[in-house]
Amino acid sequence: MLERAGIPAVSICTHAFKITAEAMALILGFPGYQYVTVPHPIASRTQEEIDEIAAQALPEIVRVLGAGLTIRPPAPAG
Amino acid sequence: MSDEPPVIDDDSLADADEVRRAMEYYASRGWTDGLPVVPVTASYLEEFLATTSRDPDEVILPMPHLNKALTVRLAAINAALAGCLPEYLPVVLAAWDAFLADGMVSRAIWQSTTGTAPFSVLFGPLRTTLGFNARGNVWGSGFRANATVGRAIRLGAINALGLKPHVFDQATQGNPGKYSCFIAENEEDSPWPSLAADNGFDPADSAVTSTVIRSVLHIEARHTIVPEQLVTDLADSLCRTGALVRPNAAGFIVLNSEHAWMFDSRGWSKHDVRQAITDRGWRTYRDLAAAGKEAIAKGTGWRLPADHPDAIPQEVPDDLDTPVQLVKSIESVQIVVAGAPNAGVSSIVETFGFWDRPMAMVKVEEK
Repeated sequence: MLERAGIPAVSICTHAFKITAEAMALILGFPGYQYVTVPHPIASRTQEEIDEIAAQALPEIVRVLGAGLTIRPPAPAG
Repeated sequence: MSDEPPVIDDDSLADADEVRRAMEYYASRGWTDGLPVVPVTASYLEEFLATTSRDPDEVILPMPHLNKALTVRLAAINAALAGCLPEYLPVVLAAWDAFLADGMVSRAIWQSTTGTAPFSVLFGPLRTTLGFNARGNVWGSGFRANATVGRAIRLGAINALGLKPHVFDQATQGNPGKYSCFIAENEEDSPWPSLAADNGFDPADSAVTSTVIRSVLHIEARHTIVPEQLVTDLADSLCRTGALVRPNAAGFIVLNSEHAWMFDSRGWSKHDVRQAITDRGWRTYRDLAAAGKEAIAKGTGWRLPADHPDAIPQEVPDDLDTPVQLVKSIESVQIVVAGAPNAGVSSIVETFGFWDRPMAMVKVEEK
């Protein structure tokens, strides 16, 4: 939704939801949409484990954001 | 019912192979809940659509975030696939209308890991006209109307809304009610007006309530003729810590008529029972803390331990046995009478509401 508004964004999901995330992108017309995936689970981890997962994911998050918009906004009418 | 084994002579059904081929075709396309479905031809679909005055293209339940919408036609196709008779369709449509009014389905609850099942209750004369079971084995199998109308909802979710397990239905475990979960109130064996009558529906009309449920709990209570003991037993199960994801507890109390009559014979109205369960609808802070569910999370509003970084700060009570109210009001305790009048066995249906919204009930529109 943010990228439709022209704002670069990155979606993060755990491996357990990868199939659903890809199906969601496909059904909404954005096949191949770039996600950052992190290990599952999240809810049952300690704060330290979460910090470590976040640190490991950060370069990929920056890469996806730096790659520019993964969805191009429509050209202005006229 | 015949004592003959359910095997048909090959000669009596010349196209049995063709029926099997059609069933395998549906299975190969994934248009199933795993069980065989009834092949639906255009002419058979017309028989269903002829039972309603609604436009086949009318959208009953939009699902815009999945680019899907359930129409009257799609509801009819899935009712036929499920094994419904055409005359069941108005009940199926009313059940879907009630799901829309309930709201949880539109909030993508069927995509959730929680794994809720569709659940509906039918009230009024169509129970008997169409052969719905409201008595013995009300949660079990054996009755076409209950089995197929409930299945029609689930097949509609899979086939029309695209909620296939492992893809958009992300249920961690789901629950057995996802095959079919459709009961009827046993109005004949109840001391009280039906839940539909309580909600202002004319007893000459039929109505359906629908919502999403997580489980059906068995309540074994043949031991008592003391109303206070029975409501204590019911409230204890309704407020079990294992069910608490949100701050509050809510559900249907499905009383068998023996329990209902026990209350009635001691002067308790349905309202009295609901109020008494609500009054007992609490756990101590100590109980909740022992399970790590004494605090509420910022953002999600879910229960978690007080020392969790997401917990809303709260004071620990001086007395750990201080009650924490879980059932907000009698609106969170709805009573349906169902089952055979033959034992002190009842059940609790753990819903995903109604603490924040009214119960949804819709009149069945007959053509």
